[in-house]
Parts: sequence; C-alpha cells; structure tokens
Amino acid sequence: MPDAVSTSSSAVKPLPTTPKPFAPEDEVSLREALKRCSPSTFEAAVQFRKTGNAEHVPAVVIGVIERFVEPDLRIRLKDADDDLRLIEDLGIDSLTMMEIVILVEDVLQMSINNEELRNLRTVGDVKTFIDCKIRGLPLPRPTRFIPIEHIGAVMPIQPPFLFLNEASVSSLAANGKYKITGQEFFLQGHFKDNPVMPASIMLEALGQLAVLYLLEGAPTEPGKMVSAQMIFFTGCEGVRAHRVCKPGDILSLSIKPKRMKMPLATFEGSIRVGQEKAVIAEEITLTYGFVEAASAPVPINGAEHLGATGAAQNAVPAPTPLRAAVTA
Amino acid sequence: MPRVFITGLGFVTSIGNDAATVTRHLRELRHGFEVYPPFQQPDIPCKVAGTIKEFNTDSPDPEDWTFPARYRIKRELLRSMAPNGLYAHCALLQALEDARLTDADISNPHTGLYAASGGSPFLTHHHHDRLLKVGVMRCSPLGIVASIVGTLNFNLVAAFKIQGASCGFSSACASSAHALGYAFDDLVLGRQRRMFIVGAEDGNLDAILPFAGMRTLSLQTDPNLASRPFDVARDGFVGTGGATVLVLELEEEAARRGVRPYAEILGWGQASDGYNVAISHPEGNGSAAAMRHALQASRVAPAEIGYVNAHATSTLIGDISEARALRAVFGEAAPRLAVSSTKALTGHGLSLAGAMESAFCALALRDGFIPGNAHLRNVDPECGGLLFPRTTEDRPAGLVLKNSSGFGGANVAMVFKHVA
Repeated sequence: MPDAVSTSSSAVKPLPTTPKPFAPEDEVSLREALKRCSPSTFEAAVQFRKTGNAEHVPAVVIGVIERFVEPDLRIRLKDADDDLRLIEDLGIDSLTMMEIVILVEDVLQMSINNEELRNLRTVGDVKTFIDCKIRGLPLPRPTRFIPIEHIGAVMPIQPPFLFLNEASVSSLAANGKYKITGQEFFLQGHFKDNPVMPASIMLEALGQLAVLYLLEGAPTEPGKMVSAQMIFFTGCEGVRAHRVCKPGDILSLSIKPKRMKMPLATFEGSIRVGQEKAVIAEEITLTYGFVEAASAPVPINGAEHLGATGAAQNAVPAPTPLRAAVTA
Repeated sequence: MPRVFITGLGFVTSIGNDAATVTRHLRELRHGFEVYPPFQQPDIPCKVAGTIKEFNTDSPDPEDWTFPARYRIKRELLRSMAPNGLYAHCALLQALEDARLTDADISNPHTGLYAASGGSPFLTHHHHDRLLKVGVMRCSPLGIVASIVGTLNFNLVAAFKIQGASCGFSSACASSAHALGYAFDDLVLGRQRRMFIVGAEDGNLDAILPFAGMRTLSLQTDPNLASRPFDVARDGFVGTGGATVLVLELEEEAARRGVRPYAEILGWGQASDGYNVAISHPEGNGSAAAMRHALQASRVAPAEIGYVNAHATSTLIGDISEARALRAVFGEAAPRLAVSSTKALTGHGLSLAGAMESAFCALALRDGFIPGNAHLRNVDPECGGLLFPRTTEDRPAGLVLKNSSGFGGANVAMVFKHVA
C-alpha cells in the first residue's frame, strides 16, 4: 500500500486490490448499515462494492455525511460545493466525524487512521481523501492557511502590486482576502476624487491567487516543483463586474482549477464583498512550468507546521495526486 | 440552619410518566406490572416487570427508540444515551418545567446535578459483543459514555449545561437516596443554591435478570400478586426502571421565584450494616442507625413521624430486617406508625428507588395522603407490630421518613415535612 498510515490499523481489513465477490449476505448487512441513508446512497455503495469503481464513492460519502447532519442543516448539502465546511456549516463535531468514518469504513471496506482525519475540514477534503484511499494514491495536502509573510516569501509578485492579505490553499481550490485600504497608489487617479478599485486590478488579484495555488496547492510530478519564475498570464474569458468596490471593502477571492495540462492551467474565479457578488471570471488561464525539486518531499504532516517553519521547507511541495485537482 | 425545599418533580415510571398520573396511581393503588415479553423464555424463571409505557428502548441504537412526541431530543444528544439516560432526560425536562426554572436558573455555577444509575448492562453487553466481533475500531465512539456507571451525569450535565457540582452515586439500591442526602448537605453548607437529583435505571432484561441469579426476584406469573412487601406470601422483588428527578432549592431561591414547594427536607442520616455483601442485617442494625441519625439531624422525635415509606422490596429477609429496625427505633410509637412500601406498585427501581420514592413522599405531603399497602393480605408475623394501611388514607402525614438500603448494607433515611 502506498501510504504507511493505513497499515497501522491491523484490526481492520486491508484495502481490497480487486473487488471481492459481493454476496447476498453482504447486501443485507450493507442495507442494515445504511438504513438511515438515502436509497441512492445504498445503490452507490452496492455499485462500488460490486465493481470497485471509485466513481460511486462521492455519492456514498455525501450520503453518509447527510445521515449524520441535523435535519435542518441537510439542505446545505444539496448542491453543496466542496468548500462546505464540516464544523462551521454542517455542525459536525469530532465525535460525529468519527461516526461518519466508522460507517464509511464499514460500507466501503476500508480503514482510516485517526491521524488522517485531523485535516479534513470541508466536504471536498473528505471526498478527495476517501477517493485517494480507494485508489491507493497518496493523500492530498489539506487546506492550509497561508499568512501574509509566507505569501510574500513565495510569490513572484511583490508590494505595492500584491493584492492578497491572507489565503488558504487546498488541492481543490484557493481562497483569499484583500482589504482595499485607500492607500493604493492607483486610487489617486482612479477616479478623480472618487477612489474605486479598478476591475482590471481585481482580475489581477484573482490571477495572483491562482499563482499562489500553483505554487502551494497544485499537483506536481515526482521530484518536480512549479517554478515561480515561469508563471504568466495568458488569457481570460467571461469576466463581469457586478459591484463597485471602494476603500474599506474586504474582497473575498476564490479560485478553482478547471483544467490543468502542462503548460496551461485554467481557473474559474470569483470575488465577493460580504455576501455580494463583485466579480466573476469564467476562465483565467495561466502558463506555468516545472523545475527540479531541490530536496526530498516534505511529509504531509509537515504542512501543519507551516506558520512556524516558514517558507524554505514548504517551498518544496509534497507530491499530490493529479486526480484531486482534475476532478474539481 | 438554611432550609431546603423540593420545588420540582419529574417522572418516567412504571406507574406513570407525569406527576398527575403518578399521584392518581399512588392514591388508587394501581400497579405498573406486566408480563414482560423478554422474560417469556423457558430458562428465565421470572416473568413480570414494572414496565415503562409510551417508550420503546428495545434497540441498542438510540435512533430506533420511540418516545412521546412532546420530548424533542436531537440525535447529537441521543447517541450517547442509555435507555436510563433517555428516561432521565425526559424526567428532568418535566421537573424543570414543574419548578418553572429559566435557562439562567439551570445553567450557573450555583446549580448542580447528582445522579444515580447502575449504568447500562444492556449497552455494555452490546458494545462489548461488537468489539469482539468486528474489532474495536468499528465500535461506536460513544459506547463508553452511554454504558458505564456515570452515564446519567455525563449526559445530563452536558445536555442541560450544568455548571455547578456534578457526580454520580453508586451504593446500589441506596444510590439515589445518597445523592439526595449529599445534595441536601451541599445546599445547607452553602456550596450550591439549587440541585437536581436524578435516579434512573434501564429496567430491561439485562438490568433485572441478573438478580434472578441471587434468587431475589419474584417468580410470580400474575402481575397482581408479584410484589407484596411485608406479606407472608411474598417471594422476591419485581424489577423496574425509569427515572425520577427532584429539584432541591434553598428557601430564599424558592421564595425569590415564588414557587410553592412540595415539601421541606429536614435532614438525613446514613449507617452501614458492616455485615454481609448482599444480605441485610437480620436485626436491621444499620437501617435502625440510619433512621436514628436522620431523626436526630432533623430534630424530630420518632413519635412525630406520621408515615414511613419503607425500602421493603418484597424479599424474604429484607422486609423482616426493616420491620425489626422500625420497631427498634419507634418503640412504643411503632404500633401506631403508618408504614407502606410503594414498591408493591412500582417494583424495585434499584438505583432509582430512593429518588422515586422520595418524590412519592413529596407528592403525598403536598396532597395530604398516605399511600396504602397494595397487595398486602396477610402480614408476615415477623413484620408485625407496625400499622400497615391497606388502602390509601386521605390524611396529612405531617412528617415522613423514607428508608433506602443497598448492597453491602448501606442504609439511608430521609425526613420530609409538609409545607403549609
């Protein structure tokens, strides 16, 4: 097995390399285990157990999560995006998380180590995690908060042209914030006696978040890392501005990779101010390239100490599965 | 000395799931026994139990349980409960409403909760069975807090955001009487201003049947004859479960909120037999000493007591010991002393018994009646020399003594007084 962690739980069954024959009694116990889940969850679980096809896994995982969420919060899981947070949005505490895991383990016939659970914060994290386990891929890096010092250390773009105050990056998306201070040099002339954040700069801020994603969250090839010197803007489409943004506004930026194929990475992006839509970009495309990684990959757990250990160590990304990003 | 009052009650018992129903059944001497389906197997000698109506907790999965719709309990709370936890949660909700307490009255550093149950042998069995079959990593993370002794206080303190004193008491059938006594002490000593006392038991096969191994359960198949404390034909106790909650408050708290108390607690006492792990002292020495301590602490003479709610469980040895202890303590007053055991109606609630029967005393004091001895036809001569009213008497008892005894010869006595 590729990941060492799963071998430590000897009490439970190892991952099946080929699907075991799915006997009628298995279906009975599966139905019992999923009796409080939707019929589609049960169907997906049956399909997975019969075929081993990982396409069915997200439906099972979401169905199990739904079963443990209080009924009045379940509506949030309908059409939920992968950024839906387990604790804040769904009220799932660590004990409920454990209940979810035990049921998923039981239903998908896999084992999950406690250590692996700590970094799962969003529905997307959980789906990706289970998917990697099923496929025997290394686990993706969890969503990480990236403070301003670290942003400044890794980004090729620097003040006064850096428009990110903070950011969080996972293998599926990046989110960031920028507060318009009113001191930005271009606001003196944009416009006369009426400072308004230029839409072109807001698009630039989204592009910068995509750069940060490429450096900190994107999948790489073994022994390679994305070069900060090789990322450039190539194009954008479907850009619309919905709201005038002024000094004092806090821009909430988010980008998600849509397609990644060397040397092009295409993202969708959006900016909100509070709950109000400010800018939408259907596609922002950057070009990028790899260089040889200087040293051995950092273990996954190393990401937890990001703030303390600084940029040097984390400039070397751990290998992440391609699948995680491509499915986004 | 600060005065302590009982200001709220809640019941989930074999004779009713609210104070009004319980009062009516105490007055009318209607028992809560049924032929209990899980006992109807050839190798199970006992057949009857005091059953809890309106609730179904047969499944080890709390999400399968059914209970009255007036109780709304989130899965997040249910998942760590044993059946006795569910009963207690509902009884506590009743007691809080009965005492008209606000959220601020309930959750503050001056309000505590003492609880007593024997844990849940039912869920312990279930979770250990699963542990052995599928491995510990596939077991419920909450199996422990749902099963072990203490499950009541863990769950209730968290669910009701209790911030004052909390712990569990474990002296078997004297447990919740001990909880009541120590809660009284905490109030008198100024450590707390309000206390919730909770007694509860699963009352299912796993909780009751082991007592058949001690040969202490009644083998009667007729629910109308099974529990007969002090009767010459008694043959053991009938098990039951459920929950009872009492709200205790200092006088100034009760006065501030303008509630009418059920009764006042004057004091309590305890003493141990120092004799046998399971058999009560033949002369009832420990029980007599506990009663004397309680009367002394309450500054009450034996002759002033108008009614004794006996521990008497309907076992051969226990009832005689208690009768002897009562004769020893009350002396010349004994022949006029009204004694009854309400276990003739409810069955023996084990850890629940002390709290449940103390709450019965509170109802009797408020409403001015003395519960009679149901099912008592021929008093065992060994239990004689006391007054055993056969029917409920509509007269105020004034002062009530409540006895409780548990394994190891632990004895507790409480003294309650009518509030004018």
